[in-house]
Amino acid sequence: MILSGDAIKAAVAGGDIVIEPFNEAQVGPNSYDFRLGNRCKVYKDQVLDPLKQNEVVESVIPPEGLLLAPGRIYLVNTLETMGSTKYVPIIRGRSSTGRLGLFIDVTADLIDLGSINQWTLQLVPVLPLLIYPEILIGQVTFWTTKGAPAAYSGRYKGRESPTESLAYQDIPLGK
Amino acid sequence: MILTGPEIRRAHATGDIAIEPFEPANVGPNSYDYHLGESLIRIQADAEGRLTSTSHDIPQQGMLLEPGSLYLGATRERIGSKVYAITLLGRSSVGRLGIFLNVTADLGHVGSDSNWTLELSVVQPVYVYAGMCIGQVAFWEVDGPRGFYDGRYKGDVRPERSKDPALNGRAAVKEIYS
Repeated sequence: MILSGDAIKAAVAGGDIVIEPFNEAQVGPNSYDFRLGNRCKVYKDQVLDPLKQNEVVESVIPPEGLLLAPGRIYLVNTLETMGSTKYVPIIRGRSSTGRLGLFIDVTADLIDLGSINQWTLQLVPVLPLLIYPEILIGQVTFWTTKGAPAAYSGRYKGRESPTESLAYQDIPLGK
Repeated sequence: MILTGPEIRRAHATGDIAIEPFEPANVGPNSYDYHLGESLIRIQADAEGRLTSTSHDIPQQGMLLEPGSLYLGATRERIGSKVYAITLLGRSSVGRLGIFLNVTADLGHVGSDSNWTLELSVVQPVYVYAGMCIGQVAFWEVDGPRGFYDGRYKGDVRPERSKDPALNGRAAVKEIYS
């Protein structure tokens, strides 16, 4: 089951959901609208390889905006620190950003239980698009679970977001 | 409700979830990590707009995927359930490299049981490797009497192209699927 806006508010008040900073005006009927942070990473090389540590170039998104170009991935943090050990978060863009052709994740919308930090958004524009710090960019929904809980011990935990892919740390192929 | 990792393990043990081969290490807090199979079908348009389709075994040194093409791959694992609905997604480590694993078709029906066809497309050129850990499936409880998927892709073991006759009647598509 998906949590209603009122249930999200109650869970934040009770500590079962972390959203920091939390603003009641950003609670929707069944989701919470989150904001874009201002730290951005793009890969230095055009060609990427999951077996290698792909170098990134970091920048701060200025108040006058950053122009996103199609054909590149932009990793940007969420302004909010978010997560839950009780409800599974799923993220998506807002309809208003979707109508501008902006993907905010690359088929990676499911957040692990216990992954409580600023999340790394994977911004991919269909068309050239200006983005600004602190704009409302996406929504997070929260889902009830079945079964015993499991603690998150993933490699992105506690890292300052945005974090580039750590796929190269995977167990070598064939083992 | 979405199943937690311990519940996925339990449901696999009772047979309510089929994942073959199954490795407990691939169970996450609320999902199971799957791997890329051995082959890809590349579909692309030539300069005249005609679609071409080529089959590739992924070489050991990896295969470079390029923007503008669609690649059909398959999960190395056979995945299914007669009890739970399934959603399929990429891993965050793979999404951060700009690899889409499906094209807004992420829902697996109750009763499906196959090596799932993945619809890969990339934002920047990027290598993929056979057997790499590439995505996740999540399992969802169903409310109401269950139906069972008995569609045209049931039991697939390798990447399969679209079999929808309403779409394949289109001339451009017919050429590659004939």
